[in-house]
Amino acid sequence: MTTTTQPGARPAAGETLAASARALTKTYGRGDAQVHALRGVDLDLPRGRFTAIMGPSGSGKSTLMHCLAGLDHVDGGTVTVAGTDLGSLDDDALTVFRRERIGFVFQAFNLLPMLTAYQNIVLPLELGGRPVDDAVRDRAHALVETLGLADRLGHRPAELSGGQQQRVAIARALVTGPELLFADEPTGNLDSETSAEVLEHLRRSVRDLGQTVVMVTHEQGAASYADDVVTMRDGRIA
Amino acid sequence: MRTVLVASLRVHARRYVAAAVAVVVSVAFVVVVGVLTAAAQARITDGVGAPFRGADHVVVGLGTENAIAWAAGREDTVAVLGSATLPLRAGDERAAGKFVGSIATAPELRWQTLASGRFPERTGEAVVDVWTAQEMEIATGDRIRLGQGADAVELRVVGIVQASSNLGQAAVYLTFEQLLHWRDDDSLLLDRAAVIGDVGTLPDGATARTPEELVAESIAVHTNNTNTVSLMLLVFAAVAALVSVLVIANTFSILFAQRLRDFALLRCVGATRRQVVGSVRREAVVVGLLASVCGVPAGVGLGYGLIALLGAVAPRNPLGSAPEPPVGWMAGGFVVGVAVTVVASWLPTRRVVRVSPLAALRPGDVLDVRAGAGRVRLVLAVLLLVAGPALLGAAMVLDGTVLMLAGGGVLFAGVLLLGPVLVPRLVRVAGALLGAGGRLATENAVRNPRRTAATTASLLVGVTLTTAVLTGLATTRASVDANHGGAHPLDVAITSWQDPLPPGLVGEVAGTDGVARAVAVDGVPAGIEGQDRPILLLTAPDADQVARDGGAFAAVEPGLIALDTEVYGEDPAAGLGDVVTVRAGDRTARLRVTGGTGWGSAGVVAPETLAALTDAPREHAVWARAAAGVDAAALVGDLDTLADAAGATLDNGLQAEAADRQQLAVITWLVLGLLGISVVIALVGIANTLGLSVFERTREHAMLRALGLTRRQLRRLLAVEAMLLTVVAAVLGTVLGVAFAWAGYETFVKQALARAVLEIPWPQLGVVVLTAALAGQAAAILPARRAARVPPAGGLGPD
Repeated sequence: MTTTTQPGARPAAGETLAASARALTKTYGRGDAQVHALRGVDLDLPRGRFTAIMGPSGSGKSTLMHCLAGLDHVDGGTVTVAGTDLGSLDDDALTVFRRERIGFVFQAFNLLPMLTAYQNIVLPLELGGRPVDDAVRDRAHALVETLGLADRLGHRPAELSGGQQQRVAIARALVTGPELLFADEPTGNLDSETSAEVLEHLRRSVRDLGQTVVMVTHEQGAASYADDVVTMRDGRIA
Repeated sequence: MRTVLVASLRVHARRYVAAAVAVVVSVAFVVVVGVLTAAAQARITDGVGAPFRGADHVVVGLGTENAIAWAAGREDTVAVLGSATLPLRAGDERAAGKFVGSIATAPELRWQTLASGRFPERTGEAVVDVWTAQEMEIATGDRIRLGQGADAVELRVVGIVQASSNLGQAAVYLTFEQLLHWRDDDSLLLDRAAVIGDVGTLPDGATARTPEELVAESIAVHTNNTNTVSLMLLVFAAVAALVSVLVIANTFSILFAQRLRDFALLRCVGATRRQVVGSVRREAVVVGLLASVCGVPAGVGLGYGLIALLGAVAPRNPLGSAPEPPVGWMAGGFVVGVAVTVVASWLPTRRVVRVSPLAALRPGDVLDVRAGAGRVRLVLAVLLLVAGPALLGAAMVLDGTVLMLAGGGVLFAGVLLLGPVLVPRLVRVAGALLGAGGRLATENAVRNPRRTAATTASLLVGVTLTTAVLTGLATTRASVDANHGGAHPLDVAITSWQDPLPPGLVGEVAGTDGVARAVAVDGVPAGIEGQDRPILLLTAPDADQVARDGGAFAAVEPGLIALDTEVYGEDPAAGLGDVVTVRAGDRTARLRVTGGTGWGSAGVVAPETLAALTDAPREHAVWARAAAGVDAAALVGDLDTLADAAGATLDNGLQAEAADRQQLAVITWLVLGLLGISVVIALVGIANTLGLSVFERTREHAMLRALGLTRRQLRRLLAVEAMLLTVVAAVLGTVLGVAFAWAGYETFVKQALARAVLEIPWPQLGVVVLTAALAGQAAAILPARRAARVPPAGGLGPD
């Protein structure tokens, strides 16, 4: 078992795993309707790598991601992220952990429709009650520059293209400087050209910023941007 | 489509609960108003008609002599109504003049109810009204003395009675035979008779009516209140219906907006527009029917509960005991419930058909139901906002009530139409006060301007009316107080008619608990030529210290004598403007009579006049002013003891004032209770909107939770959103309500009452806003709990 440190503590120097899962099981429903989404998954995610989790619909890849990201509780096994055993955290502690250590990019973008692009980007900071100081602003602006969003900051999501919305979502995920970035089918709603652009941004954040990125996808083309590919089938790693 | 209808009702039952609650509450409201109206009407009819309750006919215009002659020998079927005014003594207690009436011989015509003891059966027996008994400490078995001098009669009290009627109510009731002991007394006035069976031949000038006719006439003549009360209740019922339409329409439009995808899917698989709309409307009708069925018994229960509660808390309230169930109102409430639901669902269902079948095929993104204000709406709103104040202005100048109501309605309609523009802006202003932390809540609150406006509209109506009524009543109370000061300038007057008062009395009175100030008043016993009765002349240059009217009544010019018109009235020897000769000892003065009310049977003159009539004026009266908020009955009792010891009599204006005030207080509570129900409906609406918004925003909430919003923060987000909506509605409503009250004051209070004062009850209005804010929080509790249960992973993937 990986060493467990206090929640919120930085990982020890030299630690090479961003996250790991041991003997994960997860079951939905009961009786005849029971679905075994995860049937004992072991997985190590190295730091500073771009990992793609692939698999057909229903293979359990989204469930695996939700469990790794602390969005969902596991029925059995342990998940350790940045040295913290997620099973030891209650709902509030888990929420704060997500807020500070994990970033998300979703297929449906999930931007708040009534906030502008910039307001959406700094939203995680506001939720944490962190003051938007110069350092944060610099980081936000650097991200905005990198993602090519500088002239779209005052627009609301409805006024942005799909690619732009997804780039806002990436900026929002990276603005807190997370340990891990999870992307759930980030190109599912995008055309191939925009998809390539978004994937390139994700890969750049791994190369240039040393970010750890985990992407769930069922597209072979998308997976080809990743350093490692994990394939799931029927709740197991194939 | 029936499969779809049934399935929709089943699947969406939980969402329809929101709309159904609004319908139930408004149906219940209409029924409650019905029950209360029935009770108030029964009480008023009872009050006016009680003396004729058992009669077939009422003979009016008899005159005292005719009445006695005509009724002679017909005691079993005739009860003569009327009274004498006689001095009453019971132990140490004394009253200068009390109404004395008669108890009918025929049991069917006895309209007083026994509180204890029995009715008088022969001469020498009497029953006493419960209030007089309390005031003068009379109990069954006591002996009382009625009348004065040779005419005085000793009577035994055999019972205590309650009278529900203001007309014909007396302090003491005797057998008719005993009352006729005073048949030569000037104060005996008999005019009407209640008759069982045929009237027979009537004396000249007398006519017969049915009790119903007489009651209707009396109500029309004596108590405009009745119509006002019914009208007021009807207005409230209309307001409740309006609020319900707003709430239900809003709830339905949100429900349908959420189901647009379902409708589009139905269209995709081949349903015609007509089929979709028909199905949706039938759903609305089913909801309306079921909710109305629940609303009627709820209203009946609530109405009777309210009456019982009022009866227990304030026994003298204008509602009597529980009336017959008002079947008409119950049916009306049911119809209103169904009609309101159908009307309220009509517009939203029209929008349903505009959805294109392709909408169902578009993936992921939420169907945009964002809607702002159209240009037509804006222009119309501005026109109304200009026309409303113009009409109100015209109403003030022309004193036109109809103009005022029209102006108020038009202005309010303008505000409601402007809502989608106005309310979101106000919410932003209020939200800005909360700083960055409130931004999400503010943005959520205004993201759909039309929905925001519709949600707040219902509360706006309730708060506006509550505020207007509160301000109106405070103004009326202040104005009535000011006028009461004119009608009853003296709180307490202790007067000795023959001998001067002992010199220390003014100090004792001033030292009594509850007395603010007391002054001694000089006077001299005198006589007016041509009148048998002696009169006391008083002069009170320092009356301003104690009088409620600033001493105006006692500031009499030399050469004048002020007489209380309530006492002297149409006395031919001393009519207003007449010049009378007043004699004190061997001196005389010729004085012209002026009038006023509220100080009793003394004549008030200028100090110069008194000086001319006597060299040695003596202290004949003490006038006192009660401290604010004092218990009138206790104070009068204490002072009465002092007065008795000094051989003086006591008059007071306090009890009349207390009665006036109590009446206003009861009306205030009644009105507030009814308007409170409309506010409750509005809050149900806010809870509905929030609850349905929570359904809509499940994905957003999941995302926020994923991004790191704690459950508590999410709950607070919704609570703040609700609070912003309610506070904006409450503040806007308060401003409008005060404006309407001011318009009403300018239009009719100033007309009706000479000394009108506009009084804005700020503390009460503050409580209204605060209550609204707290209620907003309460309305957010359930939706917020549901929202906080959304798992962070929920609804994150594609649908």
